[in-house]
Amino acid sequence: MVDSTAGLVLRGVTKRFPGVVALDAVDFEVRPGEIHALVGGNGAGKSTLMAVASGALAPDAGTIEIAGEPMRQISPIAAREQGLAIAFQHPALLPDLTVTENLLLSVPKRLRPSFGDAQDWARERLLPMGMDIDPAAVAGRLTLAEKQALEICGALACEPSVLILDEPTEPFMVAEIDRLFEQVRKAAAGGMAVVYISHRLPDVMALADRLTVLRDGQIRGTFLASEVTEEEIITRIAGREIDALFPPRPDSVGDVVMEVRDLRSDRLRGITTTLARNEVLGLAGVEGNGQREFIRALGGADPVTGGGVTVAGRPVELGSPRRARRAGVVLMPQERHVEGVATVLSVKENLGVAATNQTASAGVVKGSAENALVAEEIRQLGIKVASPDSAVEHLSGGNQQKVVLGRSLLSDPKVLLCDEPTQGIDVGVRSDIYHRLRSTAESGTPVVVLSSDNVELAGLCDRVLVFSRGRVVRELTGDEISEHAITEASLTAATSAQSEEAAGPARRTGPLDRFRRLLSSEQAPSLFLAAAIVLLALVSATRSDRFLSEFNIASMLGLAAPVLFLAAGQLIVMLTGGIDLSVGPLSGTLVVIASFYLLDGYGAGWWIIGLLLMFLAAAAVGLGNGMMVRYARVTPVVATLVTYTALQGLSLVMRDSPGGSISSTITEALGARIGPIPYAVIVGAAVLIGLEVMSRRSMMGLRLRGAGSSEHAARNRGIPVARVHLAVYVASALLTMLGALLLMAQIGVGDPTAGVSYTMASITAVVLGGASIFGGRGSFIGVLFGVVLLQVIQNTTVFLGLSQAWQYWMLGLMALAATAIYSQVRAKRA
Amino acid sequence: MSRRTTSPPAKRAGPGGLIDLRRLRAGRFSSIWLITLLLFAASPLISPGSLSGSAVLSMLPFAAVMAIAALGQTLVVAHGGIDLSVPGGMALAAVLATKLPAASGVPVWAAVGLALVVGALGGLIIGFAVVRLSIAAFVASLAVNSILIGVVLQVSSGFPASAGAALSAFAVGSVAGIPNLLLVAVVVVGLAHWIIRHTVLGRRFIAVGAGRPAARLLGLPTGSYEMGAYVAAGICYSLAGVLLAGYLRTPDILLGNTYLLPTIAAVVLGGSLLSGGITNLAATAVAALFLTQLDQVVLAAGASTATQLLVQAAVLALSVVARGVPWSAVRARLTTRAPDPASTLPSR
Repeated sequence: MVDSTAGLVLRGVTKRFPGVVALDAVDFEVRPGEIHALVGGNGAGKSTLMAVASGALAPDAGTIEIAGEPMRQISPIAAREQGLAIAFQHPALLPDLTVTENLLLSVPKRLRPSFGDAQDWARERLLPMGMDIDPAAVAGRLTLAEKQALEICGALACEPSVLILDEPTEPFMVAEIDRLFEQVRKAAAGGMAVVYISHRLPDVMALADRLTVLRDGQIRGTFLASEVTEEEIITRIAGREIDALFPPRPDSVGDVVMEVRDLRSDRLRGITTTLARNEVLGLAGVEGNGQREFIRALGGADPVTGGGVTVAGRPVELGSPRRARRAGVVLMPQERHVEGVATVLSVKENLGVAATNQTASAGVVKGSAENALVAEEIRQLGIKVASPDSAVEHLSGGNQQKVVLGRSLLSDPKVLLCDEPTQGIDVGVRSDIYHRLRSTAESGTPVVVLSSDNVELAGLCDRVLVFSRGRVVRELTGDEISEHAITEASLTAATSAQSEEAAGPARRTGPLDRFRRLLSSEQAPSLFLAAAIVLLALVSATRSDRFLSEFNIASMLGLAAPVLFLAAGQLIVMLTGGIDLSVGPLSGTLVVIASFYLLDGYGAGWWIIGLLLMFLAAAAVGLGNGMMVRYARVTPVVATLVTYTALQGLSLVMRDSPGGSISSTITEALGARIGPIPYAVIVGAAVLIGLEVMSRRSMMGLRLRGAGSSEHAARNRGIPVARVHLAVYVASALLTMLGALLLMAQIGVGDPTAGVSYTMASITAVVLGGASIFGGRGSFIGVLFGVVLLQVIQNTTVFLGLSQAWQYWMLGLMALAATAIYSQVRAKRA
Repeated sequence: MSRRTTSPPAKRAGPGGLIDLRRLRAGRFSSIWLITLLLFAASPLISPGSLSGSAVLSMLPFAAVMAIAALGQTLVVAHGGIDLSVPGGMALAAVLATKLPAASGVPVWAAVGLALVVGALGGLIIGFAVVRLSIAAFVASLAVNSILIGVVLQVSSGFPASAGAALSAFAVGSVAGIPNLLLVAVVVVGLAHWIIRHTVLGRRFIAVGAGRPAARLLGLPTGSYEMGAYVAAGICYSLAGVLLAGYLRTPDILLGNTYLLPTIAAVVLGGSLLSGGITNLAATAVAALFLTQLDQVVLAAGASTATQLLVQAAVLALSVVARGVPWSAVRARLTTRAPDPASTLPSR
């Protein structure tokens, strides 16, 4: 049956994760020209299998062949070069880059067009999905459906011989799904081997040539779509073995405690239900159908837009966990590492902080009471831990989960909400948790359990709500509850709700839209800065006609020149989400070095040696910063603060007071100007414009911005993130050296403290230019205007007769205002 | 996403059930005590006389000031932030406490109180910017530092003033041979340490620092705690600035500049985690003592202030690199890949 001539062939693939065997000797084969669907429940191993097939995960055993050749290297890039393309369920896009730029990074090198043709090329690549996506739009601003379309078009643009689509239809409307199917059929007809992964059985039955069912990491059969019924497939998807022991159910669940009336949010279309005193209520459904939003909304963790909840007759305020807890509703969240516990803290600290109402009096925690309570909780939950003072991060997943549960129980809940209470933990612990949840319900605190494991829901719950597209499509009670029934309800209800959803308003790219985009683009700050410069210049010019004199303009620009280069370096670092505090002292140190060599009476040979030493010193500092940040995982602020201080020390060691006059030949050459404009400023502006072009129209620039935009997505697209991070600090240091040469020409002597203040100036200029401190966004043109504005401000304070304090105030206030405004604007658009 | 694949690999779980000292946190914080003891033991060898009674008595007040400033930094770092406004905060408090009484006859206690309030205000601005406007901590604190320095220049007109008699008498005074500043530091640090360790407020403060999303789900007002950290830090810098001004009598108007790096170094040396959550205020104070004595020894050995800066940078670099390199991963790579019974076998 296995045909190794072409397509995708996996043989004997096994992958283990701690506690589970995710894939167990899987053989899977897709022929060219075939649409092969891979189906299975939540956690069956579909995504793991495809991660292995696409080189993102190394299998523990087994072989992978793409287009008849064994996979050369386990990496997504190598797989792509071999002709495999994958569109992920959650698109791994670079949010700060444009649609075109994302597409460019998606395809193998040989298919990349030149930058001049990129826009047209991208428009063509976007045609298959037929959506009106603007190639120049920023990817982070697309709708979910547009992102998914972009991801699929990116995979198609690779012209692959194997195409993998992982749950591609989730955000799509009916028309778009039809369009997708048409494209998939066309691709297969052209000889492509297509793997189509989906939960939605009706879709799969309509599209696929063959189906393979995966359950618990094992293949449960491969079928021709024409020879199998939906029912037969469901039977194979369900039917998981029951491995954990479930507690018995009670005969009666008691009176109603909680009432939910027409609860609505972005993803919920009106949920109404009740919860009885001794009940365990299950929430089921294919991932992403509103069940998680529902349980989180009840716990106050996600926002709601309508409807109401009462507990024991009293309305519950939703909207924040704090408020929900006031009514006794406690949520045990899914992501235990993020929301469940503080993993760096100890078991005792994690449990103790939830129980202060029992252990503290007058705000002081009684140590003995706390120790006793924590010890009791550890014993009751059966947490295996060497000492209560062990950090939670050192526990196994199951024990961590017990701590999360303990924290929720110690909060004394009236209603307990559990989002995936047994995710990723082994059988024995699961059983412990089931019994604890049941006993909680029996003691009068109802429990809501959301689980992607239908066996678990069938074994544990008194009632199960099945979600689809933000609604409850089936309510199962008593004997109706079985894994098969839940699976069937989840899988077959899938498409029924679709037609109701109206298509979003069509988005056009008219002139008004283009103007709006300009306002929110990365170049918009330049417009505001230019306006501010003109305004300030007008004010000063009216106060004194000397302001616009050639001499004043020349001296202003001359002072600004070094900052142009330092700020350029600063922005390069900031584009990756870093910061370089050392630029100021580095420029000072380099001037001091120069002051020993670049002197009158020394020959050109010494000058060259001096310049070489400056270059080496700068490169060494950049490399040091980069290595500390990248390899020793020191935060950029601290790493560059170390070099900041060391460089200050170094320059004071070399010269404890200003000395060593730089050769006037050099200073005059560097200070030369054409009219009022120094050549240095022209060069600086050219460098900034060049960097701006580079950052948008070269692969190097895309990699730089991509690495800062999203490290995870960047890795997926084959960007060497570590090397980029190292390179930016070196680039910053080398640009600082250029700035240092101009600083040297300005002050003329080796002054060990001259450079220090330039750090703040460079950072302010960069943030004024609209760069995001968190990386990915920034404009070198903005930096140009930012530097000039800073200089104009400084000059204006002089002309207006303001004290020196104003310069500091302006600097501080501008930095605060710029970052605040830009971050608010960005938050609104997101 | 498959639920199996989302389960993260169990982290560094050693053999289960055994007492494993590496998992306990005490080692993080105790190393600074040991290093400090070693430094004091070695001091006479590096420069004779650096451990004499008078040398130690003249060092302790500076250590006290640094400990108080570093306490502020520790509170901010406990929430994963960083505060670069130390120089501005200290300088402004020093100027207010000296200049106001000298220039306009404001009573010293009122000037000191005002200095503390202004420090709190500076911290509030940073905290608000960080929490409500989502500005990165270093930019917000750097900007506020610039504003504070501006106020220093405005208030002082560029010239320092002398501390009032009462303030400087207190600052240079001692009780039973123990410098007053040391007593203040011990009380302030001790109180803060006790609050963090033994009160509900402190426990929650740490819980927020260790993970905001988890603290939010616990129902804690995370924003208030985080802003509170910056406010408390601002007060600490002000207190340090006032005390230093009193001790120096005529303080330089920018006296805080040399304190920024050492406060961060003290936090790191003290064993606090820069990403927040793990913190020990007493250990930070010991680290401040260590750094001050190190400065003293370097100076006594005849080195310049420039060398002092280099030594400071080297100490901070060593400590962050030592803590930052993923040693456990390195160790794991060196040892054989034995299957881990605690995480791969179902427990019965």
